[in-house]
Amino acid sequence: MVKFTKEMKEALRVPGKGGSLIYLCTSSRGGNPNIAAMRFVATHMDDKILIADMFLLKTKANIKENPNVAVTICHPLDEGRWWVFKGKAVDMEYGFPRDFDWYGANATDILNEWGNWNKAEPPDEVPPDIVFPKAVQRGVVVVHVEEVYSIEPGHVGEKVL
Amino acid sequence: MTVNLTERMKAWVEAMGCHLCVATPEGVPFVVLGRYAEVKTGGEVAFALAEDEAGVIAPVLSRNPRVAFGVSRQGGIRAAYQFKGTGELLRSGEIFDAVRARAKEEKGIDAGAVLLVRLTELYCTKPGYEAGLRLDGMTPEELDAWERQRWKDVPRKRN
Repeated sequence: MVKFTKEMKEALRVPGKGGSLIYLCTSSRGGNPNIAAMRFVATHMDDKILIADMFLLKTKANIKENPNVAVTICHPLDEGRWWVFKGKAVDMEYGFPRDFDWYGANATDILNEWGNWNKAEPPDEVPPDIVFPKAVQRGVVVVHVEEVYSIEPGHVGEKVL
Repeated sequence: MTVNLTERMKAWVEAMGCHLCVATPEGVPFVVLGRYAEVKTGGEVAFALAEDEAGVIAPVLSRNPRVAFGVSRQGGIRAAYQFKGTGELLRSGEIFDAVRARAKEEKGIDAGAVLLVRLTELYCTKPGYEAGLRLDGMTPEELDAWERQRWKDVPRKRN
C-alpha cells in the first residue's frame, strides 16, 4: 500500500505554492497513449492525487474507458522529483452520486473542497500568453496510486513505493 | 503525411528533452525521460536512452509501437504541444551511432538505445479553447505562422 512521503506531498501541489507542473499520462483501451500537462494538482489522503477537470478531452475519454494512468513531474525535475505514480483514475464530475466512493475517496468531499479550484488556487504564476481566459471546471480526476517508480537517471524503473 | 515541426518546436524539444509515454496493448501507460533529443528531417525525432530507460519501455514497445510525448521542464507550459507517432528502438546502425555519440558529448548520456519516433500527429495543449486542436493538417508555412501569432520564445540549450 502506498503512503506518500512529505516530499511527494509538497511536490504534488500547484506550482504557485511550491508544487509542480505535472504530466498526466493515459491510454485508450486499445493502447493509444496520451500525455498532457496539468497545473491544478493536489494530494488527498496518503495515496490519492487530485487533478482538475477543466480542459480535458482525450484524457477524459481515455479515463472513461480505461482507468489506468501514470502521473509524473514535468517541472521542476531538478529538485529530486523523479517519480512516476501509477494507479487507477476516475473523473468525479458534477452530478456523481454524492456517496460515490473511489478507493476511500468520497465524491461529495472531493467536489466540496476542490470543485471550484480556479478560485481557491488561481493561476497567478501562469504566463499571460498561456493562461486561459475563463476556467470552467467539470469535475476532479482522482488517481488512486498503487505504485511509484523512479525516472531518476541511473535509477530508472526502480520501485520507490 | 509527414508531420513537420517548426524551428521553435525543434528548439524546445532539443533544449529540454521530453517525457515519453508508451502503453501496453491493454492500456497500461509507462513513462520515461528522453533527456537528449534530436529533431530530424522528415518528421522524425530521436531520443538517446540509457539502458535502464530503454529497459522500461522496450517490453511495451515490442508489443505496441505507439508513442506520445511532451516537452519536459518549462516546455510543459511554454511549448504546449503533444506529439504522437510510432517508435522503434535502435541498438545499432548509423542513426544509433550518431545520436549516441552526440548524446555522450553534449549530456554525458551513455545511451544503450535510441528511440526513433516517426511522428503522425501533432496537437496543441494550451489550456483553453485551443486545447486538443490538431495541428498536423497545416502546411509548414501555416503552422509556422500559427505559432508565431502566439509565441516566439526559444529556450537556451541545457547542459
